Amino acid sequence: MAVKKEDKYPAARRYQVADIQVSREATAVKPNVVVNLVKKAKHPVLVTGGQLLKDPKLVEFAVKFHEKGIPIIATGGSSKPLIEKGVKPQSAVFPLHYVTQFMLDEEWQGFDGKGSYDVVLYLGFLPYYLSRMLSALKHFSKITTISLDEFYQPHAKFSFTNLTANKEMHYQMLEEVVNNL
Amino acid sequence: MAFELKKGLFAIDEMRNVSIKIGKVVEEEEEWTEPMGPTPKPGILELRKWDHKLLERFEPFYAPMSDYCNLCTMGPCDLSMNKRGACGIDLKTAKARLVTIACCIGAAAHTAHARHLLDHLIEDYGEDLPIDLGGDINVEAPNIRTIIGIKPRTLGDLREALDWAEKEIVKVLHATHIGNEESFIDYESKAMHVGMADHIGMEVADIAQIVAYNLPKAEQDTPLVDTGFGIVDKSKPVIVVVGHNVMYSRPVVEYLEEQGRIDDFEIAGLCCTAHDMTRVSSKTKIFGPISYQLRVIRSGLPDVLISDEQCIRADLLEACKAVGIPLIATSDAAIRGLPDVSDWPVDKIVDALVSGKLPGVFLSDPEKVGQVAPLVAEAVFKKHGGERKYRFFETDEDLWGEINKCTQCMSCVFTCPHNLRIDQGMAHAQKTKDLSKLGYLEEQCLACGKCEQACPKNIKIINVIMASNFEKLYNKSGKTRVGRGPIQDTEVRNVGQPIVMGQIPGIIAAVGCINFPDEMQSIREILEEFLKRRYIVVTSGCHAMDIGMLKDEEGQTLFEKYPGIFDAGGLVNTGSCVSNSHISGVAMKVASIFAMRPLRGNYAEIADYILNRVGAVGFSWGPYSHKAASIATGFNRLGVPVVVGPHGAKYRRAYIGRYYKPEKWWAYDIKTRKKMNIEPAPDSLLVAVETKEEAIVQLARLALRPNDTSQGRQIKLTHYLELSQKYLGTLPDDWPLYVRSEADLPLKMKDQLLQILESDYGWKIDWDKKKILEGPIRPFDAGFNPTLVEEVYEKYAGEKPPQ
Ligand code: SF4
Ligand code: SF4
Ligand code: SF4
Repeated sequence: MAVKKEDKYPAARRYQVADIQVSREATAVKPNVVVNLVKKAKHPVLVTGGQLLKDPKLVEFAVKFHEKGIPIIATGGSSKPLIEKGVKPQSAVFPLHYVTQFMLDEEWQGFDGKGSYDVVLYLGFLPYYLSRMLSALKHFSKITTISLDEFYQPHAKFSFTNLTANKEMHYQMLEEVVNNL
Repeated sequence: MAFELKKGLFAIDEMRNVSIKIGKVVEEEEEWTEPMGPTPKPGILELRKWDHKLLERFEPFYAPMSDYCNLCTMGPCDLSMNKRGACGIDLKTAKARLVTIACCIGAAAHTAHARHLLDHLIEDYGEDLPIDLGGDINVEAPNIRTIIGIKPRTLGDLREALDWAEKEIVKVLHATHIGNEESFIDYESKAMHVGMADHIGMEVADIAQIVAYNLPKAEQDTPLVDTGFGIVDKSKPVIVVVGHNVMYSRPVVEYLEEQGRIDDFEIAGLCCTAHDMTRVSSKTKIFGPISYQLRVIRSGLPDVLISDEQCIRADLLEACKAVGIPLIATSDAAIRGLPDVSDWPVDKIVDALVSGKLPGVFLSDPEKVGQVAPLVAEAVFKKHGGERKYRFFETDEDLWGEINKCTQCMSCVFTCPHNLRIDQGMAHAQKTKDLSKLGYLEEQCLACGKCEQACPKNIKIINVIMASNFEKLYNKSGKTRVGRGPIQDTEVRNVGQPIVMGQIPGIIAAVGCINFPDEMQSIREILEEFLKRRYIVVTSGCHAMDIGMLKDEEGQTLFEKYPGIFDAGGLVNTGSCVSNSHISGVAMKVASIFAMRPLRGNYAEIADYILNRVGAVGFSWGPYSHKAASIATGFNRLGVPVVVGPHGAKYRRAYIGRYYKPEKWWAYDIKTRKKMNIEPAPDSLLVAVETKEEAIVQLARLALRPNDTSQGRQIKLTHYLELSQKYLGTLPDDWPLYVRSEADLPLKMKDQLLQILESDYGWKIDWDKKKILEGPIRPFDAGFNPTLVEEVYEKYAGEKPPQ
């Protein structure tokens, strides 16, 4: 899906300069594209990572996703702040490595037993750790992966551009996604 | 005619031109009554069936770092999206091959180190030097017994084990050549094979150095030694060693002791050589792990530096030159382009180094190293009159000059392995003159230097970071317990039952390189959680060093707070990287000493025993080396799961089971003669976690074993549930999988859990008796005797296994 790059979004820059051995790079997307992808999805899910323990703003956004009916798989300990805010994650104990292994299995019925997830959103991960999981899914599954993190993730199917220098813009983009779901 | 031949040279009259070769004397062999098992000196095929069992259950997971392969000149090949390379290989198999290569590198490192050391020691001490590891060790070499099928009695006997390891590593490396293996599963089996060989290489190296150099022999209360950046007395000449082979640093200690001058010098080390040096003499000190190399060198503290092999920076000579530290390279694995002066007289070498005519030398004669290093250190020390450039910048202006150059372009951040926010630290300092944000980065920084290569302003970023935390870094000191080598048989006897029955909830082995992915204190928090809960914590290598640097609120390190015993609540430091073999060894010893399972040439049975019964879990927190990859893979073959930190995802592959596929979780039960469904315990052999919270919960989780008794399962589940509630804010998702009867439930939560089982999982509960009537995967049976290995079943059941 070709997405026009608007000037206001920073360039898609890999979180690590050496992570360039990529044959197909993520399409850098704006919030409205994420919204459309999620709306069209049959079984979307948001996976949250350990960086939620460090950034309460990310917790707030995850809660809003949940309120909009997107189920949550909480990894990395991110379940704790979410549960404190009334979210009931589909799963809390499995690290992202497990969750990815399960997703690679087309027969897996998901933590809710409703069949495989088709669109998976990621929020709040150490970039190098998430990168490996996205690479596994890119090569060995049909899942549409979308990274909502501040670092552009080349192995995702869709990713926000690089927002590390501008945290406010990152929050605004997340805001725009949740508001339009 | 029968002669009795003694060892040595002899002539037989009238028999010229006849040579008689006498092989290994097998005199005492018969004394070892243990029968030979099915797989002595296994090749690639002999344990393949066991590997395939593991890999069927713990399915390999691949996360390619690169979509391409460029190993040969037919490539580069794009292997993404099911494409194959010019040689026909697909992406998964190519990645499995890469992991196999990494394991070969790691296993080769330990094995070559062992060879180098053993040949040298045999030359010095003779091949008949007995292997005596102290009174409490009868099972002297569990890996060698189990894998090779021999019971080594002398240094010379160790050669047989090493010959086998070398042969197998070459065979597996051969299989990674273009146009060989086409199954990723078989590559994994080969990776496991070299991982297992690695434990032989390590065991040979450590046993040889323990007996020849008289290192601690399984003592529980080895002394505490100083560790940290602030340990050295700067008013003395400082000799620093870095690497893994104590063969070159020991002569320094020996020489100075002979001269009665050991107290006139400071001898400190980096990486495992430091560990082993403290095992030789507790007067030596530990600067720190691999990531301390540039910190120490750039501080200008050393007056001379000795490097040997493995995990030493490949820009060491450059780094030393830049601060005027003479370098002595000693191992042929890392000659560093230096001239070989091994046959020069000592004074000529000293003169060349002190005058600066040569920035460094290659000197492979250990005894000469012992003499040269102190002489050079003393002369260099006199030259600068004790006035070293201690700080990372000559003046404060210099430091601020560097900081003010930063434009917050973030090139460094996008290059840093941890993506440390150097830009923010610099900006904060520029605005507020406060260095604390930069100083904070010091504890996480690997001092790898990648950021400096990327900075368009050529800022000496490492120096800025180090200088910003200068006071804390420079005064950092702690205590590490000297590596004790193996675990005593008596200790194993004492804990065997509680480990196998589960009253000791598990053994956590924190090993490998550390390089914190997060706050430095995280490792202390993780391990202390288990020490307090009376798990046994075992450590080695850089992990042990770093644990020794971290103090709690009262200023105490874990080594000071917890005893060095192999028992509940003990914190055992086995020693350096090669001492990891004692950790795999102790798991084997549990099988042998406690359960009387024969070790000899009997690997699959022992691994199967460990997988089903011994709640040991490996743990490696930071990014790590090839050696750590092969060590971990060796543990995996032995049935020990390993949890790695977030950088471990770059391992490219993991072994993760799918708990929801009941057909994968089974065992033959020798007691009931049935093939049974079992709980997924443990449900992975290698998994990377993101946060310390996750690490803690996974470690507790993976310590569960099918053979836990009710009491054991209850204890293990109590910890698992409590830790999950504490760190994840909820009960874990999968706890009912591990419940076989009401007796498995944590006492304090029994009613609540029974309620949940009934309402959420539809289990049938008899509320009067508080009994579970229906629900579990299998009922608890005290005599449950599981095995995955058909031959083991047949051996004990006396019949073919059920289908
Ligand atoms: S080894 Fe095979 S996949 Fe790799 S570059 Fe050569 S031909 Fe291509
Ligand atoms: S030296 Fe430290 S800050 Fe620089 S790239 Fe390496 S880890 Fe990051
Ligand atoms: S690369 Fe250099 S100039 Fe750019 S942010 Fe980092 S330290 Fe500053």
